[in-house]
Amino acid sequence: MTGTLREFEMTGWADTRRRVGNNKMIIAGLVILGSFAVLAFIHPVLRATVWSDRPDIYRPVTGHDRSIRHPSGPTLAHPLGTDPLGRDVLSLMTYGLRPSFIVAVAAAASAGAVGLVAGTSSAFFRGRYDRAMTHLSDGFMLLPPPLVFLIASKRGLMGPLELGLLYGLLFGLGPAAIVVRSRALAIMEKPFIDAARSAGGGPRWIIGHHVVPHVIPHLAVVVLAGVVGALVTQGFVEYLGIGQYRYGLGNLVYNAFAYRFALGTGVPWSTLLAGSLSISLLASSFYMISSGLRAAADPRQSARRT
Amino acid sequence: MARFILKRVLWGFVALLIVVALAFFAVNLLLPYDYAVGLGQRPRSVTFIREQLGLDRPLVIQWLDYMFHFVRGDLGYSYEGLRVSSLVLEVLPTTVGIFAVGGIVAYLLGEWFGRLVAWSRRRLVASTANAGSVLLFTAFPPFLVFLLFYFGVPWLQEARASLGLGSRPAPGPPGLMRVLAAGVVVALVGGIVLRGWATRNDFRVMRLVAVPLGVVGFLGGLVVLGIWDEAIDWLLAPSSVVATSALIIIAFGESMLVMSAGVSQEMAEDYVFTARAKGVPESRIRDRHVAPNAVFPAISRLITSMPYLIAGLVIIEYATGVFGLGSLFFASIESGNVPVILGIVAVVGVIGVVMRIVLDVVQAMIDPRLREGSSG
Repeated sequence: MTGTLREFEMTGWADTRRRVGNNKMIIAGLVILGSFAVLAFIHPVLRATVWSDRPDIYRPVTGHDRSIRHPSGPTLAHPLGTDPLGRDVLSLMTYGLRPSFIVAVAAAASAGAVGLVAGTSSAFFRGRYDRAMTHLSDGFMLLPPPLVFLIASKRGLMGPLELGLLYGLLFGLGPAAIVVRSRALAIMEKPFIDAARSAGGGPRWIIGHHVVPHVIPHLAVVVLAGVVGALVTQGFVEYLGIGQYRYGLGNLVYNAFAYRFALGTGVPWSTLLAGSLSISLLASSFYMISSGLRAAADPRQSARRT
Repeated sequence: MARFILKRVLWGFVALLIVVALAFFAVNLLLPYDYAVGLGQRPRSVTFIREQLGLDRPLVIQWLDYMFHFVRGDLGYSYEGLRVSSLVLEVLPTTVGIFAVGGIVAYLLGEWFGRLVAWSRRRLVASTANAGSVLLFTAFPPFLVFLLFYFGVPWLQEARASLGLGSRPAPGPPGLMRVLAAGVVVALVGGIVLRGWATRNDFRVMRLVAVPLGVVGFLGGLVVLGIWDEAIDWLLAPSSVVATSALIIIAFGESMLVMSAGVSQEMAEDYVFTARAKGVPESRIRDRHVAPNAVFPAISRLITSMPYLIAGLVIIEYATGVFGLGSLFFASIESGNVPVILGIVAVVGVIGVVMRIVLDVVQAMIDPRLREGSSG
């Protein structure tokens, strides 16, 4: 490379940053995800500082404010109101975000890892192994992970972490592996793979340094879209109250319904909205990042926009 | 072509066997308790029940037994001794009806709206619509169902009262649901096929009236069969209307996103540039040049994500209290009735496989390259 060309050169990171920065969907998704992450982390902080002098009111599951009627709308003491049992909704919501985050991260990480290994290996080794893996992936495509998630949640021994990992395993061997395999097959045809082979690169080097970096964006698109299903199913599992008892956003929604009928109060809108909107916003932030990545990775589209 | 279809059917059969095998081990290993323990109090009766149900055999033997029956179309018996196939067939028409109406309406709305949104020059419109449909797609089903019941059902009850119907549907003649589901599916699929044919041959009026024509044909069929009153009573049942609307809302979000992504991808193609340069009107470029190319990837993405949509419907059905596949699924999880759970998963698999084969065949009919490619 001569000096004149160097100023037009763009590193992978700079290119990625430019594309991501130009895409509003990704930015919006990241902002939503970031604010939920802050909310999830703020719960212990608030309990240690602002809420520390009245722990009996702000304790997540068993707290109760005796001084007002419930359910109440937003006030200064209770920014998101209280639920029919008199518990602070902000405290419940920030506390309930944790299992959702655990499920999302576990599902994304395991689906990504499993999909990457299964997809690249079957594209690299071809032959009988590839055929067997493709049939297996077709099978997993037809077995919806949410249904298995619901069955497994009944076990009671499985918490959000295990359920997320299970969901990721099913999703990784199904849709993620199929997408990764087809991208990796396209990459394997490129001349630079032959060049690397003739330069003496072994399978591990070629997969690690040439195939994986090209496949990662496509993997991210499909895995992040898959997390949506995991989050909604987790919310529903909590809503049903099956699975290991661990307070989550689904419980918030369920309790709002259940105690509304039991106590005959009005519709506790603030509780319902806090619970269900948190689930859908958190899920949609993953979907937004996914579909934004899809657009950003497509050179024709991002060229048109600029 | 016959060879191609045969190959796809064979593939479908193998895929189905794999799904059932995966489901068998997943359900047996993941579901915690034993049906026998739920029934018998004393250890001796538990052992007896286990022997009676064949649960004392090794898992692999149980699996081979199940597969041996499954291949012959036998889903076995539930632990109460009822045929799983008749249990599933009893609730299947409701689910299929809701799924067909919800899926097709959502697809039509999503296709139309997604095309407009992707074509719009105003980026504010596009980003608002996209964000809105992401929220619809990720809506939390119980809350969505609650909103529909809270705001929609009072209207529906008024409409029912004005038609002289009670607040709940009266039990109709046996087999009514089957007739309704089959009729709805035939009418809507027929309408869609007619619409596709009209689009290809550029019959604009036919294209617009094709689906309404199917609906009118369905309603006319009800009158001819003399089951109009009972049918309307069931079609306007609050729980199934709410379930269908919830499915439409969720699936609309997805199909709109897929379609608008497809259209905006196609818009970057050179032929659009050429057509504009020739002076072809924008609406014609959109509907005749871009949309047909964008529709197929969108449809195939929707069909491959269909098992997920069915899983969503299972949740919606449970939340609305419709007596369909979803309610059966949760009831059998609750009691640990493994054969019924497996039967439901297998039926979901069959629906998925059939749709995939139909999709592949239709695509191969339209695009000969696919036919050549897969036979090699």
